[in-house]
Amino acid sequence: MSYFRITLMRSGIGLPPKTQGVLKALGLRKRMTTVYYPVSQSVAGQIMRIKELVDVKEVEHAMTKEQMRAARRPDPGYYIERRGTEAMRGYEEV
Amino acid sequence: MALLARTIRRSLLESRNTLPPTFLLPFRAHITTVSHNLEPGNVPDAVLQSGQHISKDLKAKVHSPPSPSKAASKPDSPAPKPSANAREDVVSQAITPSIRQMLPLLHSQPPHYLTVHIHGRPYLLTAGDTLRLPFLMPHVKPGDVLRLNRATHIGSRDYTLKAPEPVKGTRDHGKKVYYLDESLFVCRARVVGIESEPMRVMEKTKRRQRHVKHVRSKMKYTVLKVSEVEVKSLEEYETLLKVG
Repeated sequence: MSYFRITLMRSGIGLPPKTQGVLKALGLRKRMTTVYYPVSQSVAGQIMRIKELVDVKEVEHAMTKEQMRAARRPDPGYYIERRGTEAMRGYEEV
Repeated sequence: MALLARTIRRSLLESRNTLPPTFLLPFRAHITTVSHNLEPGNVPDAVLQSGQHISKDLKAKVHSPPSPSKAASKPDSPAPKPSANAREDVVSQAITPSIRQMLPLLHSQPPHYLTVHIHGRPYLLTAGDTLRLPFLMPHVKPGDVLRLNRATHIGSRDYTLKAPEPVKGTRDHGKKVYYLDESLFVCRARVVGIESEPMRVMEKTKRRQRHVKHVRSKMKYTVLKVSEVEVKSLEEYETLLKVG
């Protein structure tokens, strides 16, 4: 099953209420928002209404908001090698 | 339209795949390990050897022709991430000819500095440095030993080993950040304590009203002390790669 990946590139400010309504229906609230919808006729029609504003790509898998956030997040770049309490344990026993 | 775009994209991808990864290209390899403006070619030997001694066998190793590097593991994955603005952290684990040539020289020249990335932000560190992070690190206590494992530069006085430049992301492929192999160096930092800034008071006012709201904030920051910066020699690095 394939999905449309729709990203709002240009804002809908100043456009007719009908166009803004389509944006709202698709869940595109502000610029650079990305949403995924399964490929269907109704979604294709909605995209046609706002085709000047969005970037569309057909992808295999949809991503949730959390997954998109996780994909943007950089590597922490550290890990805890030894706990300070572990190092002190020998001293407390003696 | 979509079909056409897909074929164009596929052809683009194929053309990209025929090229070797950027860091294997000779120009890149040249750039990665050569110091900023002191190329070995245009600096007289006397100057190169003035500060530190380079032992004879080391020099012989440098002048011997570089043996062909092992099959490099390909860090570039051909499949692009489906998400826009995604980010991929690539740790390159290949011994390029320039690493084979220059790592002995870099290793022979302590002390070293590292550009370590914590949460994607760079910090230039040497052994003994105190680092006040701009945030409070979660789940750590004073006394804990952290191992910093993402670095883009390893440097000494004359030589710098650089990771390839990051590739900017587009709509179709995410940002790619290249790091040096983590078995190339050891960097440990100890959590020393938590520092806090003096309390800040911000006055919030509204128009035509006498009331002034005071907003107080007092941030806490984690303080690290870099206890160890060690750069592996070429032999150690090769054995580590074989084991790992």
